[in-house]
Order: sequence, then C-alpha cells, then structure tokens
Amino acid sequence: MDLSLNETQLLIKEMTSDFVRNDCDKDTLLDLDLLPAPMTDDLWRKIAELGWMGMMIPEEYGGTGNSYTDVAVLYEELGRGPVPGPMFASGVLSASIILEAGTASQKKDWLPELATGTRVFVTAITEAQYGWTERHVQMIAVAKGSDYNLSGVKLFVQDAANATDLLVAARVDGEVALFRIDAKASGVSIRPLDGFISGTTEIIFDNVAVSGADRLNDGWDAFERAAQPAIPILCAYKAGACGAIFDLSVEYSRERQQFGQPIGRFQRVQDHIIHIVNYLDSARWTTYEALWKLDAGMDAASCVHTAKVVSSDSYLRACDFGHEVHAGIGVVREYGLTLHTKMSRTLFHHLGAPTHHRKALERALNLIPA
Amino acid sequence: MDFASEDNEEQAAFRKVVREWMQTKIPNGMEHTIDTGDLTLEQYQLRRELGRRLGAQGWLYPTMPKKYGGGELPVENVVILHEEIGRVGFSIPPYYDAGGRMAAPTILVWGSEEHKDRFLPPICKGLVRTWQLLTEPGAGSDLAGVKTTARRDGNDYVLNGQKVYVGSSHGADFSWTVVVTDPDAKRHENLSWFMIPMDLPGITVTPLDLLTAGGEGGTGSGVKNTVFFDDVRVPAENLVGGENNGWKVATTHLEVEHGGAGRFGDRAIINEFIEFCKESHNGHAIVDSQESREKIVDLYIESQVTRLFAMRNYWMAYTDQPRSYEGSQYSLRRKLSGLDISEKMFDIVGPYALIKDEKWAPLKNALELFQREGITALHPGATTDIQRVIMARRIGIGRREVEKAGKIR
Repeated sequence: MDLSLNETQLLIKEMTSDFVRNDCDKDTLLDLDLLPAPMTDDLWRKIAELGWMGMMIPEEYGGTGNSYTDVAVLYEELGRGPVPGPMFASGVLSASIILEAGTASQKKDWLPELATGTRVFVTAITEAQYGWTERHVQMIAVAKGSDYNLSGVKLFVQDAANATDLLVAARVDGEVALFRIDAKASGVSIRPLDGFISGTTEIIFDNVAVSGADRLNDGWDAFERAAQPAIPILCAYKAGACGAIFDLSVEYSRERQQFGQPIGRFQRVQDHIIHIVNYLDSARWTTYEALWKLDAGMDAASCVHTAKVVSSDSYLRACDFGHEVHAGIGVVREYGLTLHTKMSRTLFHHLGAPTHHRKALERALNLIPA
Repeated sequence: MDFASEDNEEQAAFRKVVREWMQTKIPNGMEHTIDTGDLTLEQYQLRRELGRRLGAQGWLYPTMPKKYGGGELPVENVVILHEEIGRVGFSIPPYYDAGGRMAAPTILVWGSEEHKDRFLPPICKGLVRTWQLLTEPGAGSDLAGVKTTARRDGNDYVLNGQKVYVGSSHGADFSWTVVVTDPDAKRHENLSWFMIPMDLPGITVTPLDLLTAGGEGGTGSGVKNTVFFDDVRVPAENLVGGENNGWKVATTHLEVEHGGAGRFGDRAIINEFIEFCKESHNGHAIVDSQESREKIVDLYIESQVTRLFAMRNYWMAYTDQPRSYEGSQYSLRRKLSGLDISEKMFDIVGPYALIKDEKWAPLKNALELFQREGITALHPGATTDIQRVIMARRIGIGRREVEKAGKIR
C-alpha cells in the first residue's frame, strides 16, 4: 500500500506545475477564454514539445507509454489552471479510442502524428438528443461501395475547433461504427458555441465522403472500453481544479477584511471552505483509486463510475462554495474564479453526467439483473 | 499508487499464517454480537481471551514497537491482519479498549521510559482493558474546562470529581484520565494525565441509559458510565507527560481520537445491506424498484468516499506523512455519512429498519442498531462542529499561522 506519487509522477507534477505557472498565468488564461477555440499555435507548440500528447501512446507508435496514473497527474495540474484546449480530447480520449478500435495500419498512420501534436484528433459522439449511451448515437453513415457518406449534426463536441481529425460515431446498418474524418473535409463545418460554456462546438456533416480505410475496426463497445481510462483522467483535471479553488478561497479568507477582521475568522465562511476541501479530497481519492485499478488491470467499473459522479459534482459545488466565499469579486471576470465556474459546468456532462454514471453503477453493483 | 496491493511472496506467506491462526485460535463459542449492548460477560471474556492470544503474537496492537509488546509490523501486514480478522467477522482489538488505541500512542510520545515499560506491555499484550475518561458534565466540546481535581499529597495525588460517557460494559482495569492539577493556573496550563487502576478505593461506576453506546472508537462498547472519584489516592508515578503539561499531551490523544490514525475497511453493514436488497422476499426484491436502486447507489458512493478518507489517514499515520486537517475531515465525514446512510437505509426498507425482532427484523437487528448509532456517533471524539473548527485552524482559514497536527508516533 502506497498512496504517494512515484518519482516519475512527482517530476510530471513539477514540470506541469511550472508550465501552468509560467506559460498559462491568469492573464493568458483570460485571453484564451475570449477565443472561440481556446488554444494558440504558440501554446500548442510548447505543449507538443513537452511530449504530453504521446503519454498514453505506446513507444511502438511514437509515444512514451506512461501509466494512466502518470497521465492523470499531468491533467490534475492542468485542471488547476484551468488550462483549456484539445489536450484531453486528442491525447487521452481519441488516443485511447484509436488504441482500442483502430486497425494496425490506422494506429501506425495516426498515432505517431497524434503523439507529436502534429495532428489533433477530437471525438464526436453526442447529438441533438444529447446523451452518452449507445442509443443516443443516431447519425447514419450510408455505405457506398467500400466507402461511406455521412450527414447529420454532432452537438456539444468538446474542443473540435482546433481539430485536424475527427473521430465520429455513426450507424452502419443499425450498428454504431467509428470513422476518422478530416476536420477540413468538404461538407464538414465546425461552429464554436457561445455562452456559459468553454470550447464546445457544433459540427455539421453535409454529405461528407469517408474512405472505407478510415472506418475503425470496432464500434460502441470499443468506445466504452476506451472511455474507461479516459474518464478518471478527466476526473483528475476536475480534482486539480478543486484544489485551485480551495487555494484561492483560503487565500481570500485571509486577505479580505470585513467587520475589522479577515472573513475567514467567521465560522460560516470557514464552513464554505471546508465544503470545498471535502469536495477536493473526495474527487481526488475516488479518482486515483480508479486509476490504480485500471493500471493494475483489475475490474475498475464501479470505481470509474463513482469517480465521475463524485468529481463532476465536486467541481461544480466547489465553484459554488468558492463564490459564497468570494461574493462580488468572484464574478468579476478578471479575478479568474469564473474560468473555473464555466469549466465546471462545461465538463459536468462530458463523458456522462452523474445521473448517467449512477445508472451505470446500478449495473456495476449488480442491482439490475444482467 | 497502490491502494491495497496484491500480496508479494512475503505478504502472501504472512496472510497464510494469519488465516491458519484465525482458524485455530479464535476461542470456541465466540459469537458475532451485533449490538454490543447485548454482549454477555461470557462473550466478553472470550473476546478478552482472543485479545490475549493476539497480544502474544504482537497482533493486538500491530503497529506498536516490539519492545512494548506490539508487532512493529509494516503497514501492508497490518492491512492483512485487519482483512483476515474482518473475514471471520471480528475486529482488532476484538473488544472496546481505549488503552491501545489512544492511551498507548500518547504514552509512547509523552511518557517516561519507566511509564512505557510499565504501562505499554500489558496493554499491547491484551492483559488489561483501559477506558478513557475525558468528558465531564460541564466539559464536553470544551475539554480544557474539566473540573475534576488531583491534589498532591505526599507520594500520591488525591482525585475528586465526575467523568461521564465513559467506557463500556464489564468494567476496566485502568482509566486514562485528564484532570486539573493546578486550579490556580491559566487555562491549558493546569492539566495532567493519569493512568489510574480502577480498583482503587473511592471509584464508583454507574451505568448510563443511552440511545446506544456505539461511537467512533472502533468496537462498540456496550454501555457508557458515569465515574465518580471521591478522595481517590493515585500514586504520583502514575502521572504521565509532566505535571500541568496535560494540554500538550492531549494533542496526541485527541489527534488519534479525531481520526488522525484512520482505519481500515468498509462498514460491514454496507455490503450486507446491498446483498439484502438483492435477495428476494416473498417474490419481491428491494432492487426491483428504480427509486430504491438510486438510493442504494447513493449510499454506496457515500460509503466509498468515507472508506477512502479512512484508508488515506491510516497510510499517512503509519508511513509518517505530514498531516494537517485530514483526521478531523475523516471523522466529520464518517459521522455525517453514517447518519446519511442510515437514513437512506430507513427510507429504503421502511419501519423494518426500526425493529429488534426475531420474526421480522432484517439482518439480525443490525439495521435497527445502525439507526441509533448514526445519531449517537455524532458526538464522540468531538462534535461535527468542533471537527470543522479544527479543520479551519489546520488549514489556516482566515489566518496565516497554521495549527500543527498532534504527534501520533
């Protein structure tokens, strides 16, 4: 039993923490937040050079083949920003899907360039009837000889505005299949969605021709298997974010004076911050237990679902309590807290909201007969 | 990270030894008493016998140093011990004993060599059972406000006063007690700790009639008592940690009591309850209902977070990690989630959760006990409010100077 980070993980943590401090300070994050696609070429080049996009990918495909826990340590630190961008979409979710569902030649063709950050893969699953179960995939791919033709709308796709390649779920003869499509292909239009949301897009496919060589080997089951490790890595991002909100709130409780004393001297204010640290640690430990099980090759289903329920709730609620502590200054854009508030909402439903994973837990705990 | 690794060769061998030991050394006739309020003297004595047998192996307090009768085991082996005794339905220690859980770590930090040699081996070997005596009618959350006095007289101290919510059924050999040794000194500079033999003249024990005696301290205690001291003469060499130094000594005791040392394993009742809900009764299972399934999932998630906080604290304590607010965080969580889980169970099974009844009660009355325990467990060791106060000080909310966690090793 050892709940500490190993040496590799401590190095990853330190390196990422330096990056967030030096290259993604608050002003940079506030600027990124104004972009329809919150990433710049310059920042992406730095991220690519650090090798982060290849961490999930085995060495034979140009990656570094790190453990899931290693990767999660990176995302925990990025969550502290919160650093936006397609890192998770490409380096974790899409990489995991290609590894699970891709053919040998697809892996060889796609993964090395994904690993170097030359190509950015984004996975598009959800549609207007929003949800993360198989039945929510309704888009149809029409077979034309050995090729396909896709039309339809993917909605609430995270970080697609920076994509070079899309992995798209669509039905062939009723079964969900996965396709790679050039983000710039004729008939594909990607539109960032504005509002209390970050980096989320609508993608319209209008009679898009897809080569049969770009259909992945497997369909929905492979997506679900690929999502298993991706989910707790996303949870780690949320846990890191909770940590940043906690630090911000503690510091504010010391600085801000009202009634002649720091507001943190009032037990009502203390209680808000205690809620935040409880959310932080709940998210963090459920997440790392799930990652440990995955790395050890154990059945991690109930841990993965638990982590997603807890971390989605935790990030949202940690922000809420952060706002209770900060009052007026908390909603001033340049203070920075709302970057988290927006991100906590944006990621709440991503890869399944708590309701979705509670339902999945009913199955994982065998409460529903198989 | 490694949350409960697969055994390596050495650990697998240790597990085998422990498992075989449990098969032969658990006394015949030892029963699983659900409500320790029902623990008979005979059953208690069987548990003490098991305690002595564990103690002879160094397994009763396996993290304590060998020279004082502990096992000095690495944390992995301690986990194995807890798991293996849990598998046969008991726990370590197998009876209520504040001696090994709280007094022993405190004496280890604050006692003289002579104190350690005299007090620790009997505790670690299971030869004595010890109660803790802290709370008084006028001093609950405000422990520093205790009024029981110990006045120096020759080679003795003479104790007078009253302690409440003390101990268990079936008595104790020693009481680990905090009292006022200088009534004129400032608050926090007037207290001392004593290890007091319970057979001294002038000690009277009267049982209290409570909702339950169950608390946070591990094995349920059966009952709680009021203890009166009337001119009790205690030898001066039983004062531990220095005269009027008791508040510092208390930081260790309270750190353990506030959850700083963590614990292992789930509440057994969670899994038993989930299995019960899956069983068919008169052609109907509780899990057939969507509403019940949702509540079961919620209570499962609650229990997982609490289990992980406990495990984290155990690991932190026994690998000497720097600790801050975690003890109180776990205790707060355990209290609140315990009550919440008990109420979800009540909601799911209805009034069946309220009865002790051979004919109708589910899980051999365990649910009824848990309904009462959820409430009783809110106060022992510190109320939820006090736990929040401690967390705020340790985190440094509203202040830059951060309170340090009590030393527990």
